[in-house]
Amino acid sequence: MHKLGRGHRDKVQQFMAITGSSEKAAVQALKASDWHLEGAFDIFYSQPHIRTVTDSRHLEELYNRYKDPYVDMILVDGITLLCNDLQVDPQDIVMLVVSWHMKAATMCEFSRQEFIGGLQYLGIDTIEKFRDKLSYMRSELKDEQKFREIYNFAFGWAKEKGQKSLALDTAIGMWQLLFAERHWPLVDHWCQFLQVRHNKAISRDTWSQLLEFAKTVDLQLSNYDEEGAWPYLIDEFVEYLTENGIVQRGQN
Amino acid sequence: MSAQKKRNFKIEAFKHRVELDPNYAERTWKVLEHAIHEIYNHNASGLSFEELYRNAYNMVLHKYGEKLYTGLVNTMTGHLKEIARSIEAAQGDFFLEELNVKWGDHNKALQMIRDILMYMDRTFVHSSHKTPVHELGLNIWRDNIIHSSKIQTRLLDMLLDLIHRERTGEVINRGLMRNITKMLMDLGSSVYQEDFEKPFLEVSASFYSVESQQLIECCDCGEYLRKAERRLSEEIERVSHYLDVKSEVKITSVVEGEMIANHMQRLVHMENSGLVSMLVDDKYEDLSRMYNLFRRVPNGLSTIKDVMNSHLRETGKQLVSDPEKLKDPVDFVQNLLNEKDKYDKIISKAFNNDKTFQNALNSSFEYFINLNNRSPEFISLYVDDKLRKGLKGVSEEDVEVVLDKVMMLFRYLQEKDVFEKYYKQHLAKRLLSGKSVSDDTERSMIVKLKTECGYQFTSKLEGMFTDMKTSVDTMQGFYASQYSEIGDGPTLAVQVLTTGSWPTQPNAPCNLPAEIHVICEKFRTYYLGTHTGRRLTWQTNMGTADIKATFGMGQKHELNVSTYQMCILMLFNSVDRLTYGEIEQATEIPPSDLKRCLQSLACVKGKNVLRKEPMSKDIAEDDAFYFNDKFTSKFIKVKIGTVAAQKESEPEKQETRQRVEEDRKPQIEAAIVRIMKSRRVLDHNTIVTEVTSQLQSRFLPNPVVIKKRIESLIEREFLERDKADRKLYRYLA
Repeated sequence: MHKLGRGHRDKVQQFMAITGSSEKAAVQALKASDWHLEGAFDIFYSQPHIRTVTDSRHLEELYNRYKDPYVDMILVDGITLLCNDLQVDPQDIVMLVVSWHMKAATMCEFSRQEFIGGLQYLGIDTIEKFRDKLSYMRSELKDEQKFREIYNFAFGWAKEKGQKSLALDTAIGMWQLLFAERHWPLVDHWCQFLQVRHNKAISRDTWSQLLEFAKTVDLQLSNYDEEGAWPYLIDEFVEYLTENGIVQRGQN
Repeated sequence: MSAQKKRNFKIEAFKHRVELDPNYAERTWKVLEHAIHEIYNHNASGLSFEELYRNAYNMVLHKYGEKLYTGLVNTMTGHLKEIARSIEAAQGDFFLEELNVKWGDHNKALQMIRDILMYMDRTFVHSSHKTPVHELGLNIWRDNIIHSSKIQTRLLDMLLDLIHRERTGEVINRGLMRNITKMLMDLGSSVYQEDFEKPFLEVSASFYSVESQQLIECCDCGEYLRKAERRLSEEIERVSHYLDVKSEVKITSVVEGEMIANHMQRLVHMENSGLVSMLVDDKYEDLSRMYNLFRRVPNGLSTIKDVMNSHLRETGKQLVSDPEKLKDPVDFVQNLLNEKDKYDKIISKAFNNDKTFQNALNSSFEYFINLNNRSPEFISLYVDDKLRKGLKGVSEEDVEVVLDKVMMLFRYLQEKDVFEKYYKQHLAKRLLSGKSVSDDTERSMIVKLKTECGYQFTSKLEGMFTDMKTSVDTMQGFYASQYSEIGDGPTLAVQVLTTGSWPTQPNAPCNLPAEIHVICEKFRTYYLGTHTGRRLTWQTNMGTADIKATFGMGQKHELNVSTYQMCILMLFNSVDRLTYGEIEQATEIPPSDLKRCLQSLACVKGKNVLRKEPMSKDIAEDDAFYFNDKFTSKFIKVKIGTVAAQKESEPEKQETRQRVEEDRKPQIEAAIVRIMKSRRVLDHNTIVTEVTSQLQSRFLPNPVVIKKRIESLIEREFLERDKADRKLYRYLA
């Protein structure tokens, strides 16, 4: 440790705190990522042999703590308890990231496989480790690629089982949540537009294309291409914005 | 002569030069010079051709060709200078005469001289690359006469003046003109062009510029064109009489430029006499003249075509949007047909059947017919009218002509599927009420539609005809069978319609009178006996009935009414008075239909077999209806109830349009799937283009609708977006 510079030392300490790894592993990962913390995390977690081995007995205990008395699943109450233990708000977006890691099928419930499998993957077998992992998971939202995956995952997760489309209210809630993390100034107008003009469920295509729209089209809509094969709902949104003078199209 | 030796036969040249007498050349030349003088003095008869020729020959032979040639040049030049003076001296009009005469003389002289000097021409001239005699003669003439300073300008001015005078109406000596211009041509095309043609064209241009300015101020379009045409033919005639034929195209383009090209826009747009008023008044001759004149200048025809196009579009737009004209659909269509006829005639009589004009006509019609989205409905109503009564008594060929003309309008429709829907409805009504003029005519129309749109368009229509025929057979079978023991009950005529071929109507069955109900059931049993596995539903909203009614004074009438109306009337067999509410309850006819039926039974003069209290037109819940004992009509058979096709009311129209839109969705989806199945991966714009072109024979799909259908197909997992390029779609097997 004394061989490293001050800044590097801080990073190593941070890294160890977050991942719970050894100093050696921390330095290795950070060196490999050229002393960028996030890159180091990626490297660390993608190397299976570095993954901390979890104790399956602990995992069982954990699962049983939260599982519903009548059904072999963790349901709403269990999740509330879990959040309590983790000291997170159930509405906190980090729970979405958790669900993503667990590949949860539907919101507000985890199957045994999902819960245990997910925690194993993350190398968590105690609540403390779980809590420690939370800030890392939060940081994953900053990664473009991961954010997109989480965003697209959210559609399937938030919709009703057996439905093809996502109910409008739920969609709006999700969008508010997600775009708080990755700021899109037009999100409120979008939600308003939907309530006023559309008032129906959202299709998967519209959901995923919206992110593309938010990422690629600028706020003056100057690079919005009418021939761009956007879903018709987005075309209508653009019309709505121009009609109501919210955006002056074309010239800056 | 050399001695002849037996072995070598050789002719040897002179071993020494024969020296000629040095004066020989001079003497010989003098002879020839004298001859030339004599020739020019018209004294050639005394000369001996043979002697002169020999002299010239000898000179050349003895290598005095140069002297001879030079002498010729000088002598000739001298003479021509003299001639020039005499021409210059000529007064006024005699100038040209003198020139002409002297030219003729010169040519004759030149010919003789050339003949004499032919040997020189062929040998010396040739080898020393000098100008041959004839040409030489022309050049000397040109240089000394035509280009003489005193003659050149005077000649040109005189020529141009004569032409100008002829243009203003005077008669001039054309023969003389011809000779002069021919002379210029003979002197070489550059002489003709430089010394005459170029200035001629310039002067002509300014002449016609001035004249066209004057004419355009005082003439109307037709008159102006007549005058322009006349000037053009004048110039052509002038060329044929006394100018070089190559000048024709040059002078005509000057006239065309000055008189037509420069004033094209003004002529075409002239108030009250320009192209538009010619079109409106069918002025075939004027139009034809304009066409023939304008085709000579660049953009002439396209100018006419564009103005015709925009006028036609304006007129057409008015025809289809003027509310007055929209009141009667049959008139509406007749107006369109008349307009088409008018323009067809114009194009054939005045515009030489020009294809580009035909195309412009077609595109204009297509434009404005589709401006009014009721056009398909109205065209169907027009055909309906014709097939009901309009073509009664018309010969077969004329029928074909009318139908063919209608088909032309049909081709312009973009929403052919809307037409199909209405046509079906109207055809159904015609068939069921038996109101069609002739079966053959109906069929002929169907054949035309099939040729135009393919089998699918007409298969259902043909199904309707089949059903009618089959029903006749079915009825025969019914009455021959045991089920038809009725005695003096009602006689039933049933038409069995195959669902799917006929336009669907929502049908709410009503309560039939008992005796009717009985026989209907008998029929049902009979039919289902022979056709198992089928379901029959009575369409009480489409039937008719003939009822014998006896009124107060004993007058009997036969009433032809709809089924609903029959149900209502039969109720009055048992009671004299009924309220609206009671009638509704008893018959279970839907309220809107019931109200209409009651109105036609009680509120229409001459058809009021029922009496209503109060006498208002509207039907209210508590209105009471009485059998009208006092009903009279001069006809024994009274027809009540409208079964004829009418133009739809606003809500009906909305409904039909909605149904059409609904029908289009699966067609669009089918097209998308077909295209994607074969192409596998396509970008958005290409799909839209392909779908549009596949469906355009039926209707013009809306790109937004196509997009929605694509999204629907994505949701149903027929298609997916490409992961890398979001504008690409992929077919999912």
